[in-house]
Amino acid sequence: MPVFQVIINSIIRASELSLIAIGLTLVYDLLKFANFAHTEYAVVGVYLALVFNVNLGLNIFTSVLLSAIFTGLIALSIDRMVFRRMRDSGRVILMVTSFGLGLAMRNTIRAIWGPTPRSYTIALQKPISFLGIRITPVQIWIIATAVIFMVAFHLLLHKTKLGKAMRASSDNPALAQASGIATEGVILWVWFIATSFAAVGGILIALETYLLPHMGFAIIIPVFCATILGGIGNPYGAMLGALALGFAENFGLYLNFGNIINLGGLFDFVKEMHIPTGYRDAISFGILIAILLTKPSGILGRKS
Amino acid sequence: MIQYLAYLSIMTGIYGILSLSLNLQYGFTGLANFGHVAFFCLGAYTSTILVVLVKGPFILGLLGGMVAAGLFGFLISIPTANLKEDYWAIATLAAAEIVRLFFLNEDWIFGRGPYHGGAFGIGGIPRPLQSWFSATTYPFFYLCIVILCLVLTYFTVRFLTNSPFGRVLKAMREGDDLPLAMGKDVSKFRMKAMAFGGAMGGLAGSLVAHFWSFIDPYQFMPIETFVVWAMVVVGGKGNNIGALVGAVIIQFFYSSTLFLKDFIPIDAQVLASLRMVVIGVLIVLIMLFMKEGLIKEKKRIYQG
Amino acid sequence: MLKVIDVHKSFVGIKALDGVSLEVERGSITGLIGPNGSGKTTLFNVISGFLPKEAGEIYLKGERIDELPPNEVAGKGLCRTFQISQAPEKMTVLENMLLAPKDQMGEGLWNAFFRKKRIMHQERHNLEKALYLLSSVELIDLSNEYAGNLSGGQKKLLALGRILMADPEIILLDEPTAGVNPTLNKSLMRLIEDLRKGGKTFFFVEHNMKVISDICDKVYVLDFGRKIAEGTPGEIQQNEEVLEAYLSGSSREWSRKVGIDT
Repeated sequence: MPVFQVIINSIIRASELSLIAIGLTLVYDLLKFANFAHTEYAVVGVYLALVFNVNLGLNIFTSVLLSAIFTGLIALSIDRMVFRRMRDSGRVILMVTSFGLGLAMRNTIRAIWGPTPRSYTIALQKPISFLGIRITPVQIWIIATAVIFMVAFHLLLHKTKLGKAMRASSDNPALAQASGIATEGVILWVWFIATSFAAVGGILIALETYLLPHMGFAIIIPVFCATILGGIGNPYGAMLGALALGFAENFGLYLNFGNIINLGGLFDFVKEMHIPTGYRDAISFGILIAILLTKPSGILGRKS
Repeated sequence: MIQYLAYLSIMTGIYGILSLSLNLQYGFTGLANFGHVAFFCLGAYTSTILVVLVKGPFILGLLGGMVAAGLFGFLISIPTANLKEDYWAIATLAAAEIVRLFFLNEDWIFGRGPYHGGAFGIGGIPRPLQSWFSATTYPFFYLCIVILCLVLTYFTVRFLTNSPFGRVLKAMREGDDLPLAMGKDVSKFRMKAMAFGGAMGGLAGSLVAHFWSFIDPYQFMPIETFVVWAMVVVGGKGNNIGALVGAVIIQFFYSSTLFLKDFIPIDAQVLASLRMVVIGVLIVLIMLFMKEGLIKEKKRIYQG
Repeated sequence: MLKVIDVHKSFVGIKALDGVSLEVERGSITGLIGPNGSGKTTLFNVISGFLPKEAGEIYLKGERIDELPPNEVAGKGLCRTFQISQAPEKMTVLENMLLAPKDQMGEGLWNAFFRKKRIMHQERHNLEKALYLLSSVELIDLSNEYAGNLSGGQKKLLALGRILMADPEIILLDEPTAGVNPTLNKSLMRLIEDLRKGGKTFFFVEHNMKVISDICDKVYVLDFGRKIAEGTPGEIQQNEEVLEAYLSGSSREWSRKVGIDT
């Protein structure tokens, strides 16, 4: 595989993960708990888009937007039923609750749509080839969508009143409340934005592969890894973390570690040494554990 | 039917041991261990290796499984001893998946003879003293072994949680600062709780391997961890009887719904999903309305 | 006994401790006062090992302790209480007390299983001591109550009782009288005086100037992380610089509270 292809694949993976990781980091920072149900909101979005796209016959763009909005609304109602009553609960209680919630969401989806893979109805498009790289139009769309959403998020955070309130609330909730920012209102907006971004991210993954009920659980560690790598509470860190992880996952499998052991050809200890593909997931797990051990505040994290 | 009851009791007993060991870690020490299934998995695989490949006796497998799982608990707690609880949860979840991926990919361990290993699993794990019993009476003999192990585990945990050692664990549950100020080396206590609880989880793993006489990596998915969590939080965290009651309730619910498909026309897949939905919702409801679980933690009264 | 030499500590650019030096003599009762945010609690946290210092040295009985983790500092004979109660709330008052003693055999896994008799003996001894101490801090009737059900003042008393169980040589108290009612306060002070006579050393943060002038031998005053004065309580109340520091700006209220005449 040419190295450019590996780079493209890394960027695609990063695009998908980053939208989900942004949401995780926002909720994590504002509500101070690790939301293990976060990636399940992505799956909710994925299957809602299936309904709009396949059952209702809408085109994929409209389906994505509608599903993002509906996912956000579902998150708001879940917040009202569950998390709003638990604002003062400890981290572990909230974590366990979110896990129970994720379990229920994942299996509700599985009960409705079944465990078999599904896909959206989009016209099959021929891959484009240049410089020995093959990239499908869908993959280009994936990268473009991720970029559009990230820019939109940046503008939201810096050019709107809401963004200012969000930043203030995450820095110091008590102070923000004292200075007249409606913290509860900000929380609702953050839930909405975080989960609708997750929905879009999930759909991007589903577009490239297919829809599976447990796809959310499969990315929970990579998403947490990107979030923590970038520093919790820092959405730009989450994007960077996703990028780093995308490259690590793809290059981890691509690189011949034999070269490193042989000191770049000086010796001939081993012929070839690759990370077996079965360990693709273990790369993010390993990075996660390594970052937790060395710098739990992440690369762009603030000191607490 | 009576055969099925024996089967159900054996599984309840094995999960009871898991529930007791998670209760020691979460209920008493406050450790959000989201990778508990790793102990179960390591116990099962180590015991299988010792009995199938090394041709050791059952008891060696049992002890070996406990040592391996205990060692793993000790090892993961060295680097993670000072992490905050939410990072801890993520790190343990990732560590457990790495263990599972290891057994999924490293099929060379079982690469010879009739055993497959890897994704195919390992069959023909000998059951202790099987030749002494008929196929119908054997489960009752095995049930006795399981009950013996369960009773031993129960009394050991009860003794330990009532000891000065357990007192420090209970103090750590509400934060490190006070035990530290009182001169307690909290990371050492955490390591011991992980190693000890891990060894008990390993025991459960050995028992399950020799009972099923077949294991594969898919029996040790992260979901198992959360089934055990459900047992602990439903039964009552910080109460050993509660942990056992939780194990009985969840296991009974789990198994009894298997018969549901005989009465109502429902697809087995859908039923399996709905079962997990109920467990997930149950966790959320307990966290919302009954944080203490069914059986509250007992107050320790000292007689002056 | 305790010697702090030129200790520095800052948080995100703000100097919380700016070259603090002080000494607590063996068998003395030494007070530490200063307006809110002057660095008193930070100093306690640095001494007890809960926060790393940036520069400076701390000695306990001539031995350097500023690189030690908190549990080892406690092991050397220095124990502290917290301004906000850290008592495990799901443990009873007695359990809280029994947690404290150092070198408990039953805290080792091996011992817990194989040396039951000696542990039982030790537990018995600690229990008697705990009951005795609980009556001196007037919590004996609440022995089997969860610590979480105590009032703020009662938690302060429990913290003192627990520290006495640990039996350290020097005790750092962070606002021991806040929230404790006046009568209890008096017996608390008497208890501290008695313990001092028995050889204990006390170093404590206090806002109540009456308490300070009643029992302290020596007082240190912090402001903006710097030591601005030291001396007997009488001297401190006369000290121009102290008065000035407290009278400036937001500290006015504080000085009224502690009873410095203006």
